Amino acid sequence: MKCAEIHPNLPAFVLGGLEPEEDVEVRRHLASCSDCRRELEELRKVNRALEAAPSPADPPRHLKDEILSQVRTAEERSSSNEEQQEDLASLRERQRSLEAPRSERSKHLRIILPSVAAAAVVAMVVLGVFFGVLREEPPVATIQLVPTPQEAAGLEGYWGVAEIRPQPSGNQQVELKLNNFEQPKPNSYYELWFVSGESRISAGSFTSVGEGETRVLLNAPPETRNYRTLLITEEHIDDHRTFSEEVALKGEVP
Amino acid sequence: MMYQRADEISDEQCMTRLTGPEVEAAISALYDRYSRTVYGVGLKILGDRSLSEELVQDVFLKVWRSSRNFDPSRGSFSTWLYRVTRSCALDLYRKRASRVRQVSDGDPYIAATRDASDGPQEVMDESWLSWRVSRALEALDAPHREVIELAYFGGLSQREISERTGVPLGTVKTRTASAFKSLRTELTIQDTSREPIR
Repeated sequence: MKCAEIHPNLPAFVLGGLEPEEDVEVRRHLASCSDCRRELEELRKVNRALEAAPSPADPPRHLKDEILSQVRTAEERSSSNEEQQEDLASLRERQRSLEAPRSERSKHLRIILPSVAAAAVVAMVVLGVFFGVLREEPPVATIQLVPTPQEAAGLEGYWGVAEIRPQPSGNQQVELKLNNFEQPKPNSYYELWFVSGESRISAGSFTSVGEGETRVLLNAPPETRNYRTLLITEEHIDDHRTFSEEVALKGEVP
Repeated sequence: MMYQRADEISDEQCMTRLTGPEVEAAISALYDRYSRTVYGVGLKILGDRSLSEELVQDVFLKVWRSSRNFDPSRGSFSTWLYRVTRSCALDLYRKRASRVRQVSDGDPYIAATRDASDGPQEVMDESWLSWRVSRALEALDAPHREVIELAYFGGLSQREISERTGVPLGTVKTRTASAFKSLRTELTIQDTSREPIR
């Protein structure tokens, strides 16, 4: 058989998908054709790469809807907050006009007073809604995170705050606001822990932007509710894949 | 064989739309293009369906929240998304592994060393190759991907694929050969343009 007839069968040969008689023909040809053997080697590389491929699987359909729903809710909330801020700005503008000289103000009093009254009603509603939104997820605890003495040496403005909010799922959302928290060293990352006695639970790993403020949002499992100490460690992985850590910040849940 | 519809916006364009009114359409397009890869790599790394589903959610919400961190001048969207996926998978892996972990004696806050067998590093090592092969497979059109999936993952012969799909045997062979050629090209391109992943 000629190379041109063998070539189209080589991928199927590599996959082991030829009929027995075709398989024999390909083997016979390969025994005497170095070009086709070279081609076969290339195809085997692809076949070996396929070993690393994940098995084909679609994620469940509901996942996409859930993600889009979360995005939609957050976007709506954000746009609603923007509208509230615009209303508040408008109210402030009206208040400033009230503080104008009395003679000028009296000319417009008939117009302004009903407007102010209306604005006040709007403001009360807006503030009610605004604080209502805030009340949905109040932080149950605000924790000052301070550096350990050796970490603090020579560092200025190096501190953090953690705000903990309960989630409907039972998880605790932890918002970290870290100030001048230096970037982790190479092969390192930071990790937040909830500690109780000799047990600890990880709330996840993160990195830092270095100078200025770093904000991180993490989710801690429900069991962390009874863990009263927060700890941020810098985790190192060396070439031998052993792990070590240094404590960077810690704080106590009040 | 590698396809991109002319009216399809690029991944990078989708990213710029995540901060505007078209956010849902943009995240939806990215999800359609990458969710199989994220889920598949998640299954390979985490070995658990429920955690892999959690991973898909975490990754796409992080893409949306962190879209401003994506800088196309520093690398492709696919590579950036791989990093996000890897980081989220690492978090899930570690969270699962250390839900409750005992700390060594002495200072209750410092564990000097950690058992390497606990480490997720080994699990993550293969994930970049998995990602690249998955992306190469996703870049095939459906008929070509189907023959590879049935042959490689299904273990079917060319004749069995023909019988299963109703596609003539000659066409199955042609598609298998073309798919291999495309995978070879795609993996070579990815290899030469390989970006640092850590």
